Amino acid sequence: MAQVSAGQVSQLAILFERHHRALFRYFVSMNSAREQAEDLVQDVFFRMLRYRESYDPAQSFTAWMYQIARNAGVDQVRKRRPAEVVDIDAVLERRTELVSALPGPEENASHHQDLALLRRAMGQLPDDKREILVLSRFQGMKYEDIAEVLGCEVGTVKVRVYRAIRALEQIYFALEKEKAS
Amino acid sequence: MTCEQARMEMLGETEGEEFAAHIASCEECRNEVSRICGLWQSLDLLPVEEPSSKLRDRFYEMLGAYRQGLASNPTRASRADSVRWWRMPVWQLAAAAALLAVGMGTGYSVRGDKSRPELVQLREEVTSMRQLVALSLLQQQSASERLRGVSWAYQAEPSDREVLGALVTAVNHDANVNVRLAAVDALRRFAASPETRRAVVDALPTQTTPLVQVALIDLLVDFKDRNAAEALTKLAANRDVNDGVRQQARWALEKLQ
Repeated sequence: MAQVSAGQVSQLAILFERHHRALFRYFVSMNSAREQAEDLVQDVFFRMLRYRESYDPAQSFTAWMYQIARNAGVDQVRKRRPAEVVDIDAVLERRTELVSALPGPEENASHHQDLALLRRAMGQLPDDKREILVLSRFQGMKYEDIAEVLGCEVGTVKVRVYRAIRALEQIYFALEKEKAS
Repeated sequence: MTCEQARMEMLGETEGEEFAAHIASCEECRNEVSRICGLWQSLDLLPVEEPSSKLRDRFYEMLGAYRQGLASNPTRASRADSVRWWRMPVWQLAAAAALLAVGMGTGYSVRGDKSRPELVQLREEVTSMRQLVALSLLQQQSASERLRGVSWAYQAEPSDREVLGALVTAVNHDANVNVRLAAVDALRRFAASPETRRAVVDALPTQTTPLVQVALIDLLVDFKDRNAAEALTKLAANRDVNDGVRQQARWALEKLQ
């Protein structure tokens, strides 16, 4: 990014190849539809290009990128018209299908159902809790970087991650109970 | 270590000796670690969704257009480069003081999110970047790239006169009928401007392709532009014009009455 910032904009391609999948997964995990997630990824790289001068090489690039991603996500929610609001049930249904479609032996069917349930539980988490799990688990970010993205202390990140996983656990077991009854 | 402290370390990046000792001696925490870590690890098993190949195409197209746009628009390029002086502390201090004064003044006069100068500036700059990409793509030799330029025009501000001008030029002069049709559709975004309505009326007699003529007539009906009546009447009476177009013009006249 330091090279991009210095004017070698074509170097952005390297960053795109490294990070676009992770960003896409971040937006999909944050309940964006696939098409919207792709638009948002494009928007993030667009903003990187536009604000390349504001990048400080002393700062973590990953943290800077996710700060941009969060802003892009917030802007999209603000712009989204009511008719375009994501149908969470449809998203979850699609994800359940995706999980069910995974190849595997029959004995894994219940395991797949558990994953589908886990997906549903993730979808039902409040945004802030889902985000911290996505950043820490799916994106593999260090707590220090997450703290930079969220503008808080590392200790606060630990507390939030713990609370988020506990909340996920509660939703998961509630869904499991609902399914069993 | 207390149970409370141990909970904070359960999902930590490192496990200290104190934590291990606590877990060894506290059954409740041991059970919780087992449960929480099991759930934590199972998150890894969730399927990973992959973006489509279109994303890559769109990125390289945007990057190419941006580079071309910078090359053909040195003022914008130099504006970006000129930001370097901003990093000098003396200028930062002076600018901070000026921004504070402007910000306080603006804060009293404007309410809501729009009052945040950095947000306003950010939106403005993103908008100008979109304009740059749209204008750059609309000048490409390849018709498919010009079509993408029209798509970018949808992201421009409805008050953006430069993009409006580029779309009108495309409607009037683009060699490819698909680009002309797409540009006509994109003009809907600029419906509020009288300039747009005038440009559509002016374009009507110059077009020779029936498809584009019909699209322009439909647009005038959507605009409910009664000033278009004269141009439509002429078109409806012109025997050199395609019958379908003349019929459409008569229909539009009825609608606008």
